[in-house]
Amino acid sequence: MSTVDPKSSVPETPEEAAASGTLAASIALKQRAGGIVVPVLTALIAFLLGGLVVLATGHNPLLAYRDIFNGAGLNWIFHPTTNVANTAAYNLSQTLLQTTTLILCGLAVAFAFRCGMFNIGGQGQYFVGLYVANWVGYDFAHMNPLPHILLAVGAATLAGAAWAGIAGFLKATVGAHEVISTIMLNWIAIWVGEWLFGDGGPLQNSANATVPISNDVADSAKLPVFWGQQELQGLHIGFFVALAALVVFWVVLNRTTLGYEVRAVGFNPDAAAYGGISVKKNLIRAMAISGAFAGLAGGLDMLGYLYHFGQSDIPVSSVGFLGIAVALLGRNTAIGTGLGALLFGALLFGTTHGLSSNVIQPELAGNLTYMIQGLIVLFVGADVLILYLWNTRRKLRPQAKAETA
Amino acid sequence: MADELVLEMRGIRKEFPGIVANDDVGLDVRRGEVHALLGENGAGKSTLMNILYGLYKPDGGEIRLHGKPVTFASARDAIQAGIGMVHQHFMLIPVMTVAENIVLGAEPRDGVLLDERGAERRVRDLSERFGLAVNPSALVSEITVGQEQRVEILKALYRGADVLILDEPTAVLTPQEAGELFEIIRSLQEDGKSIIFISHKLNEVLEIADRITVLRRGRTIETVPREGATEASLARAMVGRDVLLRVEKAPAEPGDVLLSVGDMHVFDDRGIEKVRGVSFDVRAGEIVGIAGVDGNGQSELIEAITGLRKVDSGTIRVAGAELRDASARRMIDAGVGHIPEDRQRRGLVLEFSIAENVALHDYASPPDAKWGWLFPSRLIERARRLIKEFDVRGGGPLTRAGGLSGGNQQKVVVAREIERDPKVLIAAQPTRGLDVGAIEYLHRRIVAERDEGRAVLLVSLELEEIFSLSDRILVIYEGEIVGEHTGEVSEQEIGLEMLGGRERSAA
Amino acid sequence: MSSWAERLENPVSARLRDPATSGYAGLVLGALAAFLSIPPIMTRSVTWPILVGIVAAMLGIWTVTRGRRRLGLGAIVTGLVGLGLGVLATHSGTGNLNAVFDATLIAQMFASATPLTFGAIGGMFSERSGVVNIGLEGMMLMGAFWGVWGADKGGNWVVGLLVGMGTGAVLALVYAYFAIHLRADQIVGGTAVNFLALGITGYFFFQLYHGNYVSQGVSTIPNVHLGFLSHGHFGRHFLGPAIGNLNLMIWVSFLLVIASYVVVFKTPIGLRIRACGEHPRAADTVGINVYAVRYGAVILSGMLAAIGGVYLSDGFGGGTFNDNMTAGRGFIALAAMIFGNWRPAGAFGAALLFGFSSALALKLQVYSPSASTLFNVLPYVLTLIAVAGVIGRTVPPAADGKPYRKQ
Repeated sequence: MSTVDPKSSVPETPEEAAASGTLAASIALKQRAGGIVVPVLTALIAFLLGGLVVLATGHNPLLAYRDIFNGAGLNWIFHPTTNVANTAAYNLSQTLLQTTTLILCGLAVAFAFRCGMFNIGGQGQYFVGLYVANWVGYDFAHMNPLPHILLAVGAATLAGAAWAGIAGFLKATVGAHEVISTIMLNWIAIWVGEWLFGDGGPLQNSANATVPISNDVADSAKLPVFWGQQELQGLHIGFFVALAALVVFWVVLNRTTLGYEVRAVGFNPDAAAYGGISVKKNLIRAMAISGAFAGLAGGLDMLGYLYHFGQSDIPVSSVGFLGIAVALLGRNTAIGTGLGALLFGALLFGTTHGLSSNVIQPELAGNLTYMIQGLIVLFVGADVLILYLWNTRRKLRPQAKAETA
Repeated sequence: MADELVLEMRGIRKEFPGIVANDDVGLDVRRGEVHALLGENGAGKSTLMNILYGLYKPDGGEIRLHGKPVTFASARDAIQAGIGMVHQHFMLIPVMTVAENIVLGAEPRDGVLLDERGAERRVRDLSERFGLAVNPSALVSEITVGQEQRVEILKALYRGADVLILDEPTAVLTPQEAGELFEIIRSLQEDGKSIIFISHKLNEVLEIADRITVLRRGRTIETVPREGATEASLARAMVGRDVLLRVEKAPAEPGDVLLSVGDMHVFDDRGIEKVRGVSFDVRAGEIVGIAGVDGNGQSELIEAITGLRKVDSGTIRVAGAELRDASARRMIDAGVGHIPEDRQRRGLVLEFSIAENVALHDYASPPDAKWGWLFPSRLIERARRLIKEFDVRGGGPLTRAGGLSGGNQQKVVVAREIERDPKVLIAAQPTRGLDVGAIEYLHRRIVAERDEGRAVLLVSLELEEIFSLSDRILVIYEGEIVGEHTGEVSEQEIGLEMLGGRERSAA
Repeated sequence: MSSWAERLENPVSARLRDPATSGYAGLVLGALAAFLSIPPIMTRSVTWPILVGIVAAMLGIWTVTRGRRRLGLGAIVTGLVGLGLGVLATHSGTGNLNAVFDATLIAQMFASATPLTFGAIGGMFSERSGVVNIGLEGMMLMGAFWGVWGADKGGNWVVGLLVGMGTGAVLALVYAYFAIHLRADQIVGGTAVNFLALGITGYFFFQLYHGNYVSQGVSTIPNVHLGFLSHGHFGRHFLGPAIGNLNLMIWVSFLLVIASYVVVFKTPIGLRIRACGEHPRAADTVGINVYAVRYGAVILSGMLAAIGGVYLSDGFGGGTFNDNMTAGRGFIALAAMIFGNWRPAGAFGAALLFGFSSALALKLQVYSPSASTLFNVLPYVLTLIAVAGVIGRTVPPAADGKPYRKQ
């Protein structure tokens, strides 16, 4: 007697595969299907569409992009120099400063994605790390530099991990969707910050009680700068920490049993459970590690160049959200995140403080970044290009021979 | 009852890539008749009915309703033409009431608003007319499965169905509810409705049907009236004469009992008892095959034995050790190897490489890992060895499992399980969806493992496979073991037992 | 619900013995404990809040022992919190209390709640049809900017309202296309749409208005002046200031709540929307066009969110726009929808609650700006608690967020 199910031999389209699999599996599928071509193309299309908006409002997009390019200091490659007085060099150092943060915020999103979860809470986790680093950086001023820095950075990382861990815990125990909980935690972190640095808040400036800004961290907690001057916001060693984090990300995922479990749960929780892996434990772990990356970003920023933070700084910060675009564009891989962070770091700085242009003002250019970011995330989410490429590939290849029983 | 032909299906053909599901199939149904459609899984019954209901388009043939040819572009067309279908998996919305579910899409209105009273009234009228007792204002989540089925029937009647298709309706019912269903069918008949009754339970078909059409392998075998048909004749038509693939094997030399299941009772996710007091032993060096039609409790039995489902009562012993309510992990550690029936869902992480998949049970302990640090080279080494030993084609240790063909994927799963040297090997549908070459290889492998002294429990929906491999055959029907055979037994006999045909002898 | 029907048929005493009664009574008493110490009652003695709070907690304990754990716990917590707040209030100066708890608090509550109401009801339509709409924030923002722009260029707030609705609909259409047709991940799509809206509105705000206030004297949505309410002592001190001069949109939001209840639960289209959100395949097999229904619901949600945005800038804001003006209100609206269990009345109640907390936060400045800032976390904390299932299971539509594929 035969019991063959005719449907089992029908080849799947990527949509079907993606829909039936998990978030991690679908993104991995997209990675395989498109390689590096698709992210590059996606970015190009986003820039193109952004350029159309610029054009439609009476500015020259090519010149605007050129000015943004210069603003980011990428023109430095044409005339490399270590002298920070040179504008291009300075701009590049600032771009790399942003890249540092974005690498870590991108990793925060990417790691959670690998476990099948969407961590939108990077901004809140970043803030929490920032607050804690400011507190430890200021309050323990009597310490020697090395232990002080380690303490502050460590505390910031742990704070971020704990903040994200709340969402992971809620998901593992009561099944609360991490998107909702992380969004809520973001806003809680924002308002806690407003309170901390506001008039009468616990972290508000002790010297001057009228400004809603925090204290500066002690000199012993400030990170050493290796390119530029500390007083003029030079590039600090946190940059190398971020690069190291990329390596750590890769190593943890691919060379440890923890990474094995996280990936298994992300790809196929049923099979993972069958293999004896605790799905709940890994959900919490993955969120905590994600939060750790973002908290680290906050700590490095605080100790590296911000040194203080104020009420008015809070609404302006968007690195946590940019991290989402970075991770998605980079397909949750270490290299991809690194490159994506560079792109967005350049955009972030090049359209705002670095921009000196008579073609387009910083306010417009800054909002252009948001539009490009939105378009990239939109296209990545839908993978229009992937589906297009896959379908043309299928039409060109002869019908695959199906298996018969 | 008038002999008027309500429905004619002629020459229906439907192909899917690689398989012909319906090949020149014909079916005709008279007014007021109960026409049973008989055939095993994969015979083409569901495909034919999906075509009739407008969900598939036939590649050939025609359908005539009341003598006029019709084509259906969607379910809506079929519904409007008077065809109603009650699927095996109900299409009801749990949070809505019975009345809301029934009138959905064809709601009675009161101006711009929903006429709730009117809806309830119409449901009550229909319900009384056909003897389908339901409470219109009850939530679907709160009613029994038998009542849900009645709601589905009312849905079809509300839309004016003349021909009602019932797909395996008694699969989810208790015997008492089945009896009530038959009453309902009779009263529908009296009202002039025609019923197409899809089933593979011979006793029920003989009780309710006026005529019976048997399908096998996508073809119509015969259409017979109930008078004169016996269970034996129907079983013969369904099973036919098949070429059997037999594997060469030496006679079994059974040793100690390695797996012992005692009076097991298991419930499924819906709270229906699927395993009703099953007991059996499997010895070292023998292959015990469990034959049965899909849905008679095999899946739940296997899940219970492998620790993936809770046991309500009963015992499981592996090599003498009592192991009830053990987790999957504990079962694995106790020496139970499991080739799951759904290799893509439970067996493999498709995005992982072969090496990573092979390590699924062992990744956390030496030599694969130490203190949390993974040694990929060791995983790759082991994978390479297993690939060679099990002749896995289509890639190396680093190839993604999802890129392998089904047969090779299954080989990876088998390799992983056997590598752990299990005492008991459970193979659930091990060759589902595989090509002949892979089947042959796996069959030889399973026999080889038997000869190594393992106790092998085989569950399969393919009778050929059961016959080919088993030293002892158990037949499961509606959650109970209804037959045990060693030595010579014919396919017909087993087939009969699988369909509930044989009178159960006193225990 | 059948259980209510049963209860009505039983004698009154059975109803009183029902743990649900004591549970809800405990919740009410807990709130009362705090209420007693604030104007207008403003008892100065601590005994009252303590007494009432303890009774509430005891009712809660009794409810727990009779089986309704969650409700009982809620009553205990409310009782203790109410007790605490009540005692705090008695220690606060009457001057401060009067400054905070006056009738304008009510008016401010309605004003703050209105954008949330529009957003939450819009979100409810979308999610009831099965599409998660995280992009409400972006759609609200579009309405906020383009609404004022429309009022400016068109000379009339009605034009502004229509333009705002239009832009919200367009953004929603883009989102709907990606989510429904391309079956993109809905969370990712919604987040993207928010970025887009932020960029577009910010860009054109600077391009057209140089980041300054929109031109002076732009037509704003009028208030509805109910002079007749201000007669008599009660009228002059309470009714008048509370609801005598509310913006038109606030009244529209009340109508919206009622209308959306009727549409979703009492009309055929509402039944079909719900079917698409619970079991799209079942809806499909009875001939409902799931795609069309979902498109419609998402676009409606965009329009409603945008109306909330127009109110924010052209009604509440008096004709101004600021960069990123919505400041997360779209997310609070989502929270209100979840907190209200995807029902119009519940969402409205949650919006009022959140509106109350923002209004209170503003007023609490009189104590310390610091405390009032921290008070702003309340909506988000409440939502976290709701999602954690502490109060009761929040049950989204069964097929919420899952793209549908026709066979």
